[in-house]
Amino acid sequence: MDMVLTLILLPIIASILLLMLPNQRAQYVVITAVLFFLGIGAFSLYTSMGLLTFQLSHTMNLAIVAADVLLLLFFLYQGRVFNHPKVMALAAVQLVLYGYIELIAPESGSAEIMVDSLSKFMFLIINGVGGIIVLYSVKYMEDEPASPLKKRLFVGGLLVFLSVMNLIVIANSILLFFFLFEMTTLASYLLIAFRDDDVSRANALKALWMNQIGGVVILLGALVAIIGFKTVMFDTLLQSSGGMVLFSIALLSMAALVKGASIPFEGWLLGAMVAPTPVSAMLHSATMVKIAPYLILKLAPALAVSMVGGIISIIGALVFVAASYLALSRSVLKEILGYSTVALLGLMMALAAIGSEESMNLAMALMLFHALSKALLFLSAGVLERLHHAKDIEDMKGMVTRSPKTVGFILFGFVSLTLPPFGLFMGKLFAISSIAALLKEHPSNLIILLSLIVGSALMVLLYFKVASALLSAPSDIRASEAIAIPNGFNVPLVLLSFFIVIGALGYIMLQHNIFVVLLALPMLFVFALPTLIRRMDRYDRSQPYHCGEKESFNAALVYYEPSLKLQRILYWGFGSLFVAVAIVGALS
Amino acid sequence: MKFFTPFRKKSPWVLHYNAGSCNGCDIEILASLAPKYDLERFGVINTGNPKQSDIFLVTGPVTYRSRERLVELYSQIPEPKVVVAVGSCTATGGVFRGMYNVEDGIDRYIPVDVYVPGCAASPQLIIDALVKGLEVLEAKSKEIEKPFKLFGAIETIHNKLSRLNMATKVEPHAKD
Amino acid sequence: MIWVWIALAPILGGLVYGGERVLRARMQRRQGPPILQPFYDMFKLLDKRTLIVHAPHALLAVAHFFVLWFSVAAIFLGWNLLYIIFLHLFAQLLLILAGYSVRSVYSHIGSNRELLMVVAYEPILILVAVGLYLVSGSFEVSQILKSGGYLTQLPLLFAALLMIVPIKVKKSPFDVGEAHQEIVGGVEIEYSGVFYEFLYMSRFLEYIFIYSFIYLFGGESHWLGALLVAGVFLLVNLVDNATARVRPAQMVKIIYTVAMALAVFNLAGVLL
Repeated sequence: MDMVLTLILLPIIASILLLMLPNQRAQYVVITAVLFFLGIGAFSLYTSMGLLTFQLSHTMNLAIVAADVLLLLFFLYQGRVFNHPKVMALAAVQLVLYGYIELIAPESGSAEIMVDSLSKFMFLIINGVGGIIVLYSVKYMEDEPASPLKKRLFVGGLLVFLSVMNLIVIANSILLFFFLFEMTTLASYLLIAFRDDDVSRANALKALWMNQIGGVVILLGALVAIIGFKTVMFDTLLQSSGGMVLFSIALLSMAALVKGASIPFEGWLLGAMVAPTPVSAMLHSATMVKIAPYLILKLAPALAVSMVGGIISIIGALVFVAASYLALSRSVLKEILGYSTVALLGLMMALAAIGSEESMNLAMALMLFHALSKALLFLSAGVLERLHHAKDIEDMKGMVTRSPKTVGFILFGFVSLTLPPFGLFMGKLFAISSIAALLKEHPSNLIILLSLIVGSALMVLLYFKVASALLSAPSDIRASEAIAIPNGFNVPLVLLSFFIVIGALGYIMLQHNIFVVLLALPMLFVFALPTLIRRMDRYDRSQPYHCGEKESFNAALVYYEPSLKLQRILYWGFGSLFVAVAIVGALS
Repeated sequence: MKFFTPFRKKSPWVLHYNAGSCNGCDIEILASLAPKYDLERFGVINTGNPKQSDIFLVTGPVTYRSRERLVELYSQIPEPKVVVAVGSCTATGGVFRGMYNVEDGIDRYIPVDVYVPGCAASPQLIIDALVKGLEVLEAKSKEIEKPFKLFGAIETIHNKLSRLNMATKVEPHAKD
Repeated sequence: MIWVWIALAPILGGLVYGGERVLRARMQRRQGPPILQPFYDMFKLLDKRTLIVHAPHALLAVAHFFVLWFSVAAIFLGWNLLYIIFLHLFAQLLLILAGYSVRSVYSHIGSNRELLMVVAYEPILILVAVGLYLVSGSFEVSQILKSGGYLTQLPLLFAALLMIVPIKVKKSPFDVGEAHQEIVGGVEIEYSGVFYEFLYMSRFLEYIFIYSFIYLFGGESHWLGALLVAGVFLLVNLVDNATARVRPAQMVKIIYTVAMALAVFNLAGVLL
């Protein structure tokens, strides 16, 4: 338990320290130390056995209630200040619901805090990847046009967010979970609005009201749980049986769909891309949105082989295809990455909701490797933004000559998302074979299988389309005049790549299958190729072929814009599927 | 690489370029590639890509506009290579000789190995010329061959041989 | 023994390619090149000066060839079909990256089209693997070849596979990736000499790769497998000689509507 407490308190202490340290070097020392201890803590917890439980005292519960009410009042206030009726209405609904629930809430039966193996796994993602992103953010914020205090507040805020995340994955009480869920919404809102221009503000408010829908459904789920089973605890709810269980579970998993930015809620996550890059990396890709698959995984025992589980896995799988397709029409790198995050979250939720042991393990593996790869990609996008002022892939044409190392990281990120032997690819591969094994019993899984296959193909198209913009180098006769990456950026990127490789190696070793290990051979071969570069000196260098012309090179990128009609069908379709989750839950 | 040399004549891949021809010879070239004359039985492939070609089939008297392209394509063909000038225009300018926009034959710009007479050159002659060209091809070495005009430079930079500037552009308003 | 076959795979593919050129010539009532023509071409390419644009571009072609060879070897060794498909995808992506890595418009167009081809045929290949798995109970090639009856149970899936064969061997109506002189060979354009040779040989391997999938449908009966391969070989060349090229987007649309529907319909039929 001490270790868990460290994970929660250490980031908060560190953020207070940071606020008092104006010196950048001192900041680095503090963050490195925190990263080190968090990593050690998370890892030792992960390798430890057993279930840790903890009961909150009465005063602590009261403090949480007070904080929750304050939070909702703050949302209400923000809605009033910026004159946003949706925010106000949803905050008001939540206030009423929350008040009512607290009135009728039963005395807590079991512990509010429970650290199970899933939480330990989440610690690994949150503290490992999150810590590296905090390390990166110090350098990133250096060039931000904001006051020094605000910059330090930003870095401190990210650290505090880590402890919120550490807490949310061990919450066993639905009400505690609701409070922390709203805290992450608040973090999202404040950090998206960080730059405080019109677009940021509008997108922040959008994120606020959409995420509050998640809050409302959690409260409704809690209400059903209280009425039906007199409990607000996840574990008690999952052990009970009866008609109402699935309704409550269905409502809770709808919150996951909102937080996971499944279509039609993907708007808030894409809007969130206006925030500084560390925010996009941390909140909107690596850690916060992982609450969605985490929640489904937590509910999976009840979801498995139920209609609700079935419909959620179908939604997830369809989102995987639809979001990959929609991403093909975008040109801002971060938005493309955002869409692919939405897609992969859908896939993770689909796998989690299938609920077989194998598919749940796969969902967890995908979570870890996705966090690593996406963090790497977002941080590299941030480097391009800072050093080359390029956000749009149209501005990144031929970037490989100007910033070969960053492009290398981005390519490595893409490769780690699509090719053997990296974890994400392996996850998809095993997912195909494990779903195929389930097909005989559940033919409906054919939809999921098909979406998985088509979605993966579309993702390949997406990533390599982006790669096409970055690449295209001239002849290597002369050394290129590339800008070096400062260490503040370089170290986190190298760390992430290192963990991707280590993770991939660990994952393929875990399979105990010699063929899986052999899948790594081609990649080894490709990595060995640069040693041959000197030997290529003996071949003549020549001009690329332009039909005899000496034109300057300008290749256009291909975009696939879905028609308005198709978009409307997508939104209405996914909207009605979202509502269908609740209806199916109520009926079964 | 003596062992591989005999195979040069077994797989001549051609690049066909029209340097301002009237299209008469081009049609005959296509005819000789088509089923009736079936050049493919000699292993000929019309690649359309200088980097993978051995034989440069040029038609036309070289107009001013086509000079740079002719030399650029020529310098992008890796050695050993053979240039076959198809039709009377390529040899002397033919009916276009003396016109204000014509260079009177491609051998002012690049070295030619085989000339094919005729206006238009007949497919039989073209096939004959190709077979003749194969003998020349087999005898050639792998030394870099340079164009006569519009030749820039072959440089060695950082141990790498650069052909990037082998063909240059015509100076605007140059009298040549 | 099996290692000898693996080592000989490019030569075997070369013979298939040479035979195909003769066959196509005969279909057009002409004599055509000798059957060993691909090997003459290979030897000639070794005797040429080599021009490259930059080193990584040239090396990626080498990597493409060897990874492709690896995936073909995996078929011969009887590995898991899914691994084989993804190893092949890996090889293809290396080639696509190579195409993108130079400043040549045709190379970029070629890579774009290769990507679309991957998007078109990849799902069908995986569905074929899943179909074979449903009937035989295993993804392993060695196990698949031990049972039979695929053709009777998966006729529509086989038809779907037939539709993607022209994409893989670059034949009309789906030869958008190479498109003869329309885009001057696409990704292959900047290669010459030794490095073009690797691409030329990887074309041979593609033949082996895709026709192995056809062969799998024969199951335990080697004769049926060989017959299927021969029949499909004839059919593909007949179609090649008789049809025009479609646009890349049309190709994807046709595969995603017709072939995908056939495959899914067949799989659903097997399941229910």
